Amino acid sequence: MTGYLLRRLPSALLVLVLASFAIFAILRLIPGDPATTLAGSDPSPDTIAAIRADLGLDRPFLAQYFSWIGDLLSGDPGRSYLIGGQITDLIGDRFGNTLALAIGALVLMLVLGPILGVLCATARGRVPRALLGAVNSVSLTVPVFVTGVLLVLLFAVTWRLLPPGGHQSIVADPVIGLQYLVLPALCLALPGSAVIARYIKDGVLQALGEDYVRTARSLGVSRRRILWRHALPNALPPVLTVLGMQVGALLGGAVVVEALFAWPGLGQLAEQGVARRDYPVVQALLLLLVGVYVLVQLLTDIAYALLDPRVRLG
Amino acid sequence: MTAAVVTKAPVVAAPAKRARNPYVQGLLTPRGITGLIVVGLVVLLGLAAPLLTSYAPTFQTSNALLQPSGEHPLGTDEIGRDLWSRVLFGIRTDLIVVVSAVPLGALAGCLLALVSVASRWADVLVQRLFDVVLAFPGLILGLTVTAVLGAGTSTVIVVIAVVEAPAFGRMLRGAILSHREREYALAARVGGAGPARLLVRHILPNAADPLVVQIAVSLSIAVIVEGAMSFIGIGVRPPEPSLGSIVSGSVMHLQDHPIYAIGPLVAISAFVLGLNLLAEALNKGVRR
Repeated sequence: MTGYLLRRLPSALLVLVLASFAIFAILRLIPGDPATTLAGSDPSPDTIAAIRADLGLDRPFLAQYFSWIGDLLSGDPGRSYLIGGQITDLIGDRFGNTLALAIGALVLMLVLGPILGVLCATARGRVPRALLGAVNSVSLTVPVFVTGVLLVLLFAVTWRLLPPGGHQSIVADPVIGLQYLVLPALCLALPGSAVIARYIKDGVLQALGEDYVRTARSLGVSRRRILWRHALPNALPPVLTVLGMQVGALLGGAVVVEALFAWPGLGQLAEQGVARRDYPVVQALLLLLVGVYVLVQLLTDIAYALLDPRVRLG
Repeated sequence: MTAAVVTKAPVVAAPAKRARNPYVQGLLTPRGITGLIVVGLVVLLGLAAPLLTSYAPTFQTSNALLQPSGEHPLGTDEIGRDLWSRVLFGIRTDLIVVVSAVPLGALAGCLLALVSVASRWADVLVQRLFDVVLAFPGLILGLTVTAVLGAGTSTVIVVIAVVEAPAFGRMLRGAILSHREREYALAARVGGAGPARLLVRHILPNAADPLVVQIAVSLSIAVIVEGAMSFIGIGVRPPEPSLGSIVSGSVMHLQDHPIYAIGPLVAISAFVLGLNLLAEALNKGVRR
């Protein structure tokens, strides 16, 4: 296992370092100088120079990059130019909200995916099969902002069961908080659920044809027990990889879902940062999101290596 | 007598012809035909937009949020623009974006793949470059590029091209590497073909199959990326209509005027689902 980690860690770190450099370099290409924006209308060249010196913008590019990385490693991403305040505060408030959304979506994926998958694998008759297949294809391909609007039209406008958007803290009042969480989390979870369902369906169908299932059946084990206790658990490991891959889609989807449901999370902050060209905020956020993504990929690979010796020894 | 001969001839000729082209074979399945019809219909609506409506998509009438009528088949939006016209011209905007962005991404990816099979060092560089691009979830990459270039149609095209390039690059690189080891490639080399001739005349025509399927997949991803970017306000600039921005406008009026959202939702869903059906059909055809 140590050998596997020693092989896998450097490449994850390399991607992170290259990504941090790319983010830093790309944001320096932005036309216009933040010092000019900050100096207000009609500033003197001295004021601009003073602000540039204050922000460190007059230093060489690589020096700026390394001091940024140094600050980040010591836990200080700096101050926002335009939105105002420490970046740690800006991110801290919203990180919890996005995390709640992501966890809600993951839980729903893990519930809906297997159910849909098992239904698809066991459905009898042409019509139910076609219907389930259609549900699966639609949730897989239709973009989240389309399903999101449809969910709001159904659950909030037509049936008036859930609020159409906004956010309440789950910690303060779990019942109200959950009501606000359900629709955005469901909307974010649908594509991932469909992917998981496909894997589960294939895995269950394959497992049902195996010898141990025939043995179990010949011993008189009920169909239902075979399905849930024998076939389903054997279809689960690939789901782990799928979950890892879905985290990227989840982070991207969160930006859209947060905009649609007025959910005050990281996606909204990123959108504001980009719109106002507040680049300390944008670069810190981008690196955070890419870091989370790379970390999750790494954890997925490690979990897979733990489950499957062929991976860690290969 | 003559009639029988005429009807018999194509029956004999057809299987040989069909077997030669796996794409046609894939497209002539129920799935492929449905995809063709749906995508064809959406594309036709976009192309014929000026003929199908008498309103310009940015023309403001004095009536905001009208219900559908003969005059305005989908009603009007919050500042009185005809929604039928906006949806049609929105499809047109989407078509322009995806039809320019996907070939651009495919070209960039394929060129990088060619560079990467040419030398070991270039291969390491190109593969790490793809890793970095893939480390950004699509929309996050969109935000980054938009931070630099500013919001607008050309930015959306660049973002889609960058998002799509690694998929094409990886696919072509893998196919070239595997075809290079096959016997026919060896035979060509023994026959005296140089590396360039071997690649262009022998390997590329065989390695290109999966790329055709990838184009259909990429087109549908492109529609989604354009929609998502315009939806969160960093895509096509208003007042120019795009499907994503019309949905975005409808969100404020879901409670009092739900019909506003229906047109763009149907158009996007049909477009994306149709493209996916085409991709699945082509994939089956190529694999057969």
